[in-house]
Amino acid sequence: MTSTVIQRAARRDLTVLLHQIRYEQLTFWRNPQSAFFTFVLPVVVIAVFGLMFDGTTPSPYFGGLSALQYYVTTLAAMSVLGSCYSQLAIVLSTRRQNGILKRVRATPLPPWMYFVGLLAHCVMVSIIDVLLIVGVGRLYNVPVPSAAAWLPVAVTLVLGSASFCALGFAVASLIRNAEAAPAVVQFILFPLVFMSGTYMPVHNAILENITGLLPVRPFNQALLQAIGPDGGFAWRHLLVLVLWGVLGAAVAVRRFRWDPRPE
Amino acid sequence: MSNVVVVEGLRKSYGSVKAVAGVSFTVGRGQIFALLGPNGAGKSTTLEILEGFRARDGGRVEVLGLDPGDRAVARELRERIGLVLQDIAVEPYLTVREAIARNAGYYRNPRDVDELIELVDLSGLERRKVRALSGGQKRRLDLALGMIGNPDLLFLDEPTTGFDPSARRSAWQVVRNLREAGTTVVLTTHHMEEAQELADRVAVISDGRIVSEGTPENLGGRDTSRVRISFVPPAGSTAADLPVDAIPGKGARVVTETDEPTATLHRLTDWALRRGTVLDQLTVERPSLEDIYLDLTDRDAPEPATRGNAL
Repeated sequence: MTSTVIQRAARRDLTVLLHQIRYEQLTFWRNPQSAFFTFVLPVVVIAVFGLMFDGTTPSPYFGGLSALQYYVTTLAAMSVLGSCYSQLAIVLSTRRQNGILKRVRATPLPPWMYFVGLLAHCVMVSIIDVLLIVGVGRLYNVPVPSAAAWLPVAVTLVLGSASFCALGFAVASLIRNAEAAPAVVQFILFPLVFMSGTYMPVHNAILENITGLLPVRPFNQALLQAIGPDGGFAWRHLLVLVLWGVLGAAVAVRRFRWDPRPE
Repeated sequence: MSNVVVVEGLRKSYGSVKAVAGVSFTVGRGQIFALLGPNGAGKSTTLEILEGFRARDGGRVEVLGLDPGDRAVARELRERIGLVLQDIAVEPYLTVREAIARNAGYYRNPRDVDELIELVDLSGLERRKVRALSGGQKRRLDLALGMIGNPDLLFLDEPTTGFDPSARRSAWQVVRNLREAGTTVVLTTHHMEEAQELADRVAVISDGRIVSEGTPENLGGRDTSRVRISFVPPAGSTAADLPVDAIPGKGARVVTETDEPTATLHRLTDWALRRGTVLDQLTVERPSLEDIYLDLTDRDAPEPATRGNAL
């Protein structure tokens, strides 16, 4: 008796959750301009890097990889950052300021379902971006990771997108107004990405030690190790990444606001 | 009649500012209850506590038998209430129909989407994107989103702000129809005409307290207050010639107040007819709901002679 009630409630929750995921997708695709640039930007960047570094051979400067193998990897990481961290921080603060979050709060949709809908969207965009980047890399003869590399690559991508989603939530919780959101997001991200070896390998002990404790470099390094000659899991980097995710989640849980005019 | 909303001794402070300082009222099932008050009087804070958006400092609150401050009942409460608020919005790139259908999916027993579109007069705009709607159309979409869950209780925060007069009248009809169907409505408004037209009961809140409560007809002693008769006296006559005590009013007018309008009017018109003249621009007024409201909420009330609408 009780178990059928619980089953019915669970089935109803699943229906609502799928409904929300569907409409979150619709909301995204209904804005074709934004959808276009979400997917075109990473393709353009990797295509340009392809033209610049086509035909280079593996070198110690790129950690035993070819330049394009290196950039396919770091740009894939970058696209996960963009679709999780940047997109979430900006979308959430804009929706809060417009009162869209408050309207959601006024309905019986449980908050966790709303967030799962958004996370599913970020993960979907990340997957498409990573596939596009790897696909363009193939055009420049960058090999697809070997079967042995797939598990560590997948685990690293999942942990990375989870951590950067959490950090996106955290930044959205700390930003007060939506106009400032893109600027704040870039202000944090740009120097960090630059110092973390995304656009050029960093071989400087001081920089490496500092950025090794920040979220971007560990993500890059874990991915690079997974596809590199040694392969396998970069546990220390993954630990740093996850700790940042936990910190982000803690800030988000404590500070997240739905209301454009908080108390 | 059972009460849908019960508020007793509600208190809420922001720092040292007492936004709500002991508010009590009840709303019966199927009533339209209007909360009036100037900006910053505690109206919005009171509503937001009832809606479960803010925590209270003290007092008892019951909405549909549930405590809106209890997070465990939040989902159940939101299944049964609808909200049309000032500072909420809809995804700009969804179409009207998609926006309504999305919210319909959040409720156990939603209304029919197409019926609702027709009800709020958005027929023909189903495929238009929300961002392309006019202000009044957006507000009607808000109203639809507030009603989509088929709520037992609907909160309307200044529901017709920005409506043209005919859209306002049709929105009022929608609200009246909801009451006919058994929905309880709590609304705030700055339009006294709206309160007059819609509300079964009215409460005026000022400085965090309810200063008066009643029907639109008897609020603040409106039904028992003195009637004001004013007119321009015939040329050549002075106030001293009149059969009643009168004081000078606006322009050439004179004003007299009375508890017995029938007798006073009879004396005045009889006097005028016997002299073969008329009482030019004659008006007979009771204080309007707006006059009562201004008296209740304004500490330095304006001059009596400058107020009032003709009955």
